[in-house]
Amino acid sequence: MKVLGIETSCDETAAAVVDDTLHVHSSVIESSIDQHRAFGGVVPELAGRAHITTIGPVVREALLQAGLDPTNPAIDAVAVTSGPGLIGSLLVGLSAAKTYALAWGVPFVGVNHLEGHLFAPLLEQRDLEWPLLTLLVSGGHSLIVLQEGLGQHEVLGETIDDAAGEAYDKVARWLGLGYPGGPEIDRLAQGGNPGALALPVSMIGDDFDFSFSGLKTAVVRATQKNPDVAIGDVAASFQSAVGEQLLRKLRRALERYDVKGVALAGGVAANSHLRVLVRSLADEFGVVSHLPSLSMCTDNAAMIGAAGLYRFAHDGASALSLSARANWQLVDVA
Amino acid sequence: MNILAIETATPYCALGIVTNGHYLSRVLDDSRRHTEVLAPGIEAMLAECALAARDLERVVVDVGPGLFTGLRVGIASAIGLAEGLGCPLVTVSSLELLAHGAHRAHVHGTLLCCVDGRRGEVFVQRFTLDDDVTPVGAPEVLAPRSVVIEWATSGAPVTFSGDGVTRYFRDFNAVPNGEVFEQNVPPVDEALRLAETREPSSHVVPLYLREADAVANFDTRIRQ
Ligand SMILES: [Zn+2]
Repeated sequence: MKVLGIETSCDETAAAVVDDTLHVHSSVIESSIDQHRAFGGVVPELAGRAHITTIGPVVREALLQAGLDPTNPAIDAVAVTSGPGLIGSLLVGLSAAKTYALAWGVPFVGVNHLEGHLFAPLLEQRDLEWPLLTLLVSGGHSLIVLQEGLGQHEVLGETIDDAAGEAYDKVARWLGLGYPGGPEIDRLAQGGNPGALALPVSMIGDDFDFSFSGLKTAVVRATQKNPDVAIGDVAASFQSAVGEQLLRKLRRALERYDVKGVALAGGVAANSHLRVLVRSLADEFGVVSHLPSLSMCTDNAAMIGAAGLYRFAHDGASALSLSARANWQLVDVA
Repeated sequence: MNILAIETATPYCALGIVTNGHYLSRVLDDSRRHTEVLAPGIEAMLAECALAARDLERVVVDVGPGLFTGLRVGIASAIGLAEGLGCPLVTVSSLELLAHGAHRAHVHGTLLCCVDGRRGEVFVQRFTLDDDVTPVGAPEVLAPRSVVIEWATSGAPVTFSGDGVTRYFRDFNAVPNGEVFEQNVPPVDEALRLAETREPSSHVVPLYLREADAVANFDTRIRQ
């Protein structure tokens, strides 16, 4: 069985062809990030406009790269992100997915974007063992998820305010760095002293929730108090505070649940510091670490195709009347 | 030729199919539920015409001006269908559809088509209707009041039509030299007729007539 996956929940228009052995035949991504840079964040209307111009070419390219005829491809279903995300962006992918499916006479299935991220590690390590703890961190989300098996997930904790990636963007803006802030802070932090600024590690409670909104304020205050501190030291101190909070909760989850592995997912999973931390934590607990390649961290349609295959096998096709759900939580996925 | 028409420029969602010279058109919804009703509507209408999707030889879509979200749902749906079938995609504008609809109902002379643009504005284009339908100038974004004042001042006979006129009915109806031809949904029958002879487009995007909000805000911020 082969599916066409489509992803348009934020600023990436993506399409991919994946089969039920989780082999990725093609994965095409077109981002409108350059249009958003000047605004310091993704502008919904601009993202929606970009998707309309790229959806057709991106899908066609994904089919061609998979060796399929774009007007009569040998695929069995169309999977598409139907939430969560920017509503105007979601609607482009969802609407197109429905009519591609109608044109080819195949079923279509709506996929939760976060569940898609959970499938990303599988596309690179098909033989991974359950149960698995996944730290899903991106510009829009920060969660710790316990997976007992394919498609069986329990959200242990999530951010109560900003997402980790959002904190990166806010601090980057304060430091006068570009958008998105993650890669630049990561780069600057390389030579910096993580102990240069005393930043609070919030959420030291007994649960698995995160909080990142106070961190930006703390960075602002600390840099105002120490105006001479080098930018690399600020970046390193901030990065270390984010990592410490994420790791503290992940450690607690590893202590509480008997798992075979730890996985990273989402855009922030590309962060070099976090990858080192998660790998050494996994080593410490004697479990396998699954660190997806950078292209599997960011939004892509291969992961949506993979999640779609699972959802289609389990729940069947979605109705053509399916609407987009901008705030569709992972805990609400059937 | 078997043609499917998609209409989502206003809160209404409408579809049409022409097959063997037989025209079928339907308004599926009147309250902006384009995402929910469009694809099931296409499936149902194809079945009603005893057509498979593969039998479609052409798709025509209204690219606006109109509701941005509605237009993107309609255009994305049209792209998926046309790309998926490998059939030509033809575009029409909401304002020209209104003009052709009025023409078919024997409206003559100067016609001003107005689609509700939200934010207190209307998308406007002027047409001359005689034997043909001829646009006079390009579509614009205007405040309804300025349109009304302009026409009332000119004293020239004019007919107003479109959901922008319905929304600001009292203003438009007060123009002494004006008449209102009531028409809320750009007629899909006209889209089907225009599609028969029109050249297909390779790059289909909504006719926004307005910068993205943030772009507009950003421009303002820079200027200050
Ligand atoms: Zn994502």
